[in-house]
Amino acid sequence: MAASALNEERQLAINPIVASSVQHNTQVISNIRNLTASLFGVAAGTLGLESYAGFIFYILASLVVSVLLFALKTDGKPGAYFYRPLGDLWLGDVFGGLSGFVLTWTLFYGLVRA
Amino acid sequence: MAVFGTALNGAGAVLLTHAVYSTHEHTATFASTPLPLDISLELLVSILLLSLGIVVSFAPLKPIQYAQWAGQLSREGRHGEGQYTREGEEMLSEGDPYAFLGLDGGIGGKGEGRRGFWDVKGKRREYEDWVRQGGKQ
Repeated sequence: MAASALNEERQLAINPIVASSVQHNTQVISNIRNLTASLFGVAAGTLGLESYAGFIFYILASLVVSVLLFALKTDGKPGAYFYRPLGDLWLGDVFGGLSGFVLTWTLFYGLVRA
Repeated sequence: MAVFGTALNGAGAVLLTHAVYSTHEHTATFASTPLPLDISLELLVSILLLSLGIVVSFAPLKPIQYAQWAGQLSREGRHGEGQYTREGEEMLSEGDPYAFLGLDGGIGGKGEGRRGFWDVKGKRREYEDWVRQGGKQ
């Protein structure tokens, strides 16, 4: 553990990372996640999904957005834009958008279906 | 790219509004019957269009590796990003943070860009020659 931390530190000393770019990228991903999560809530509520089906819909739709981000925003090279691509791009802020999703999901279920 | 993203977002929003309105009408007329396939498909297509439009129209990411980031800066230089302040001034992208060192003076020109490596004795000699010539060019 200690050796790998030392290695990582050495790696960062050789190839430094720009903090302002990391911040900018995280901000962009978080904004996209929040916007699309609200949209998926509209779709889930209008389709009349209930219980687990709604959450599965959200996970699938988030996966689609992740693929779009991977293909269009990072040009297939997530390592150049994220320090930890798995955590920051593929799973980044997926659960942060969940509250927005549930909000619009219940709202549109109530407005349209009930 | 901005026009493309806006067009996708507009088309998606129109389809989404139509699909939600159709669902509302359908459930108001035939309650407790499943949603017709065309409305579901319209809804899913509109969601796909909108998320594509959102991803496309957002600001591009910046490289986090220092070398790539600095390379992009020196290749593109400072340029407007198409956004304006309320006073009408164009907002510029971030520039080279080490421009104040004046290194660029030594790359294209014949002088030494770094101030600490300035040839003091050479400059002094130049000045003395100039004085000896009577201060003429």
